[in-house]
Amino acid sequence: MSRLSTGGLIDRTRPLKFTFDGKQYSGFEGDTLAAALLANEVRLVARSFKYHRPRGILTAGTEEPNALVTLREGARAEPNSKATAVPLYDGLVASSQNRWPSLGFDLLALNQLASPIFVAGFYYKTFMRPAALWEKLYEPLIRRAAGLGALSGLPDPDSYDRKHAFCDLLVIGAGPSGLAAALTAGRSGLRVILADDDMAMGGHLLKERSEIAGAAGADWAAGVVEELASYPNVTLLPRTGVFGVYDGHEYGAVERVSDHLPEPLPGQPRQRFWKIVARHALLASGAIERPLIFPGNDRPGVMMASAVSAYLNRFAVAPGKKAAIFTSCDTGWQTALDLQAAGIGVAAVVDTRAQMPALADRLDLSDCVVALQGAIVDIKGSKSVKGATIRDGSGKETSVVCDLVAMSGGWNPAIGLGSNFGNRPVWSEELNAFLLDKAPPGFSPVGSAAGRMSLTSALGDGIRAATEVVQQLGKSPAEMAIADVAETGGTSENMLWVPSGIEGKAFVDFQNDVTASDIKLAASEGFVSIEHLKRYTTMGMATDQGKLSQLNGHGLLAEETKKTIAEAGTIMSRPPYTPIALGVIAGHHRGEHFRPVRHTASHDWAAENGAAFVDVGQWKRAQWFVQPGETEWRTSVDREVKATRGGVGICDVSTLGKIDVLGPDAATLLDRLYANMFSTLPVGRARYGLMLREDGFVMDDGTATRFAEDRYYVTTTTANAARVMQHIDFARQVIWPELDVQATSVTEQWATYSIAGPQSRAVLQALLPDIDLTNEAFKFMAAGEYRWRGTKIRLFRVSFSGELAYEISIGANRGRQLLEAIMEAGAPFGIVPYGTEALGVMRIEKGHPAGNEMNGQTTAGDLGMGRMLSTKKDFIGRAMAQRPGLTDPGRMSLVGLKPIDPAATLRAGAHLLAKGAEPKAANVQGRVTSAAFSPTLGYSIALALVTGGQERIGEEMLLNDIVRATDVPVEICDAVFVDPAGERLRG
Amino acid sequence: MDKVDFISRRENVSLAAVMARKGVTAADIGGALAFEVPKEPAYRSGSGLGLVGTGPGTWLALSETLDNEWPSALEAALGSLASVSDQSSGYAMYRLSGANARELLQRGATIDLDPLAFTAGSAATTVISHIGVAFWQLDDTPAYDLVVFRSMRESLEHWFESVAASL
Repeated sequence: MSRLSTGGLIDRTRPLKFTFDGKQYSGFEGDTLAAALLANEVRLVARSFKYHRPRGILTAGTEEPNALVTLREGARAEPNSKATAVPLYDGLVASSQNRWPSLGFDLLALNQLASPIFVAGFYYKTFMRPAALWEKLYEPLIRRAAGLGALSGLPDPDSYDRKHAFCDLLVIGAGPSGLAAALTAGRSGLRVILADDDMAMGGHLLKERSEIAGAAGADWAAGVVEELASYPNVTLLPRTGVFGVYDGHEYGAVERVSDHLPEPLPGQPRQRFWKIVARHALLASGAIERPLIFPGNDRPGVMMASAVSAYLNRFAVAPGKKAAIFTSCDTGWQTALDLQAAGIGVAAVVDTRAQMPALADRLDLSDCVVALQGAIVDIKGSKSVKGATIRDGSGKETSVVCDLVAMSGGWNPAIGLGSNFGNRPVWSEELNAFLLDKAPPGFSPVGSAAGRMSLTSALGDGIRAATEVVQQLGKSPAEMAIADVAETGGTSENMLWVPSGIEGKAFVDFQNDVTASDIKLAASEGFVSIEHLKRYTTMGMATDQGKLSQLNGHGLLAEETKKTIAEAGTIMSRPPYTPIALGVIAGHHRGEHFRPVRHTASHDWAAENGAAFVDVGQWKRAQWFVQPGETEWRTSVDREVKATRGGVGICDVSTLGKIDVLGPDAATLLDRLYANMFSTLPVGRARYGLMLREDGFVMDDGTATRFAEDRYYVTTTTANAARVMQHIDFARQVIWPELDVQATSVTEQWATYSIAGPQSRAVLQALLPDIDLTNEAFKFMAAGEYRWRGTKIRLFRVSFSGELAYEISIGANRGRQLLEAIMEAGAPFGIVPYGTEALGVMRIEKGHPAGNEMNGQTTAGDLGMGRMLSTKKDFIGRAMAQRPGLTDPGRMSLVGLKPIDPAATLRAGAHLLAKGAEPKAANVQGRVTSAAFSPTLGYSIALALVTGGQERIGEEMLLNDIVRATDVPVEICDAVFVDPAGERLRG
Repeated sequence: MDKVDFISRRENVSLAAVMARKGVTAADIGGALAFEVPKEPAYRSGSGLGLVGTGPGTWLALSETLDNEWPSALEAALGSLASVSDQSSGYAMYRLSGANARELLQRGATIDLDPLAFTAGSAATTVISHIGVAFWQLDDTPAYDLVVFRSMRESLEHWFESVAASL
């Protein structure tokens, strides 16, 4: 065990058991998985992406590129979890990934021997030929060999929630500047949200030995958090990562509600998606330490210096027994002090600079090699560090024995979120780091994210920024003073150190196995733009998105191309800042709840009566009703058609769009919306209407009924209900605002049933004995408002099936009651319910165009409705419908098809060819839009669009179906197969 | 839904869409009804009548009793001031009550429901769980009434149950 005997922010009274790769270990409450692994001296935790090199724990935060593990097992397994960000819990199970057969002995480490071919762009160079092998062989092989953890493939047993929040100030990050800002704003009465990725708030205060107001920094942070928690105007969100900035001052965040538990508490989600609308946001995300580039810098035991300090100070874990420090700034020296304070020997301090910092005075250098203007040039050991070779300013090499190397290449402000809006960061010569020049509206960086690196300046900056926000919002800021700050970490300049003449594998991007030589190769091959370099080498494209180490690569590119780093530039970041689970975006919308479902008033009745349902948009519609003994859908549908045409059937048509168009100018508006005339429609009558789009093509059809001079009731197809409503609102609000006309959707208000068949009148008469339904009193297209058992109903004599038919509507609350009453009244007449399939068959038999024909490419003329275009008035689409292309007599138009061999089946989508023509695209003269077996006629029929249309009636053509590989000789016929004279309809 | 103790279905309510005719103001309609008609997204009630502002010149009117004749009576009372459509069956209506009610709605709606921004009488027409809804706050309990197109009530109730489980 390498747990220190004292210190740390862990609860030693609460030991936690966990397993890694099947082996049992124990840690403490407050540990991360990485801390607990290090405490148990587990150093090899992963294999790298491409070369399968042994990898250990590099960082102590979410920027970790190496220590990716699969957390949990079975359906709850979560691959690519960063061990450095996983809070330890009792019973935690984790396993390593990307290794075979085991982590210690990985056969694919042989890849390293082949590393000369795995250079930058190797996909493009190596797997070019033969092209056919790419999908079948190369890609599957590469995917198997390279890569990260695997998904379980099992359904996620947990739920994901969503919440919306609004605040005056969102503080992203609860380090020194974030806490100071939140405290200032909270005391000033602002609505504040403070979000931090970590399980504990405090940021670097938890990892350093600094002091504020006479207390340890971590204690000061705990006190501030306690005070903030007491304010009703402050919301604290620990374990919450803000991942993106969006328009309208919106921020996306994910709260890991249950990830620190073995499984979520009953009813609780695993994670929660937060959409936060913040008038102001402060980016207090701190800074991320840069690695140094040297051969072997990826060996387990090489760690970031600040991470070493974090494991010592926060977790009371010694990541090694003897350390070497390699640094280009004071941070490394501070880590050396932290190590010595914990009783761990420091074998060497190597600084790229020429001078020792003031901090060095406090270090015991009696047994320590100090190399200035030096570098580590080699690491001994493969699965763990065993020593380091140091080259000093004079070129002299010394070897030291050590099992830990702490490196620090300076600090990068963590500004990723700030470039979400496309602001490219700019290089600061003063700070040797990229900073935000511009930021999204209402968003500004503070503290070390703004380059104010020292504790004193970060605290002061947080107070300043929050005070400004308070003042902008017109409130009076609380007086703030934070006294007695004892800094750690030194005050040196932040240097970017770029080595030259490296021999061996020195990693720039650890996770994607991009080495310094890959960068050089890419530059020499012409990939000198920072964005091209990224794609060609994959540097910065792993799950850490380059936030740890890509700047080193940019520095190398600058060096290779003889540019300054300011000229080379850096990339911008887009959301998510850290990876998030897709499940948390989907939330509760999964499985059958993927999208909302719409049920009609008689849905349950239909389900109880054997309905099979079909999705029509969001609606569930009864497709057919299975009777006992029916095993084939066609049996049910044929029976329903025959029973309706021979007697009476009833169909739920409530899903059709219904719109009340009201007001003195209702008639005028409808005249302009429909191609045919509606102002002449008498009260108590319905009329079929056709709407065109602005471009002259058919938009939708339906009926409009006039119930009073200023009351029209418009119906639309199910599919176009919302579109027609939108069209009407656009017309009345935008095109003709001068009209006094109102409109509202009443689709949901009315349950509507179509009663069709020769016995439909008799059934209705039995239901409504007081109404005169004789043909003289209630003609075809008549309509009226009546009462049934005290409730208002509407009755229409309209037909889609071609039979004598009615539609009856009632407030949907009583829809099921009415349906049951009709079934009862219809029982003596043998009434049957029918579904959308029988409805479709009957409309094809009757030659009614529907959605398949009104597909947005057909004109009224194409559908045989050219005469409906009024010449007495203007209407939407009139002018454009006269364009030559839309009136071309050579256009395809609607006809019927019947097979020469009555046993043959016609299918939708098949193409029509002239007899004897070669089956190729140039010879296609038409296509089937709708097809069905007609139980009425006893053979298959179809509607088709064909060049020449009506003029070809009687001609024999070939129906060529490439998809189903059939050729069926057919005869062109009239589109109306049943009752062409319309006698049934009007009888 | 039976498991969610702070949400109940409201069955015995009549509803109608009221749309002002051209040039007619909220005050004109208020004059005819002897009622303070809201000009903004707000809810006002009195004498068994409620009006929710759902858009410019449009309101959802409610009567606290289930009455087939009420929409026609309202239409007659408004005469040439407004068009009226019966919507009594068009919506399913819910009463949500207590601290959990606010939290649940906040999980669903991108509307600031903090008492600083949304109080008794405030109303919103918005989207919850990809489903169009309107809701308004009745009092400081807080209690809310919410309406949803009736066809989508099962989907909304599923969402109610899913979220309420975590409260």
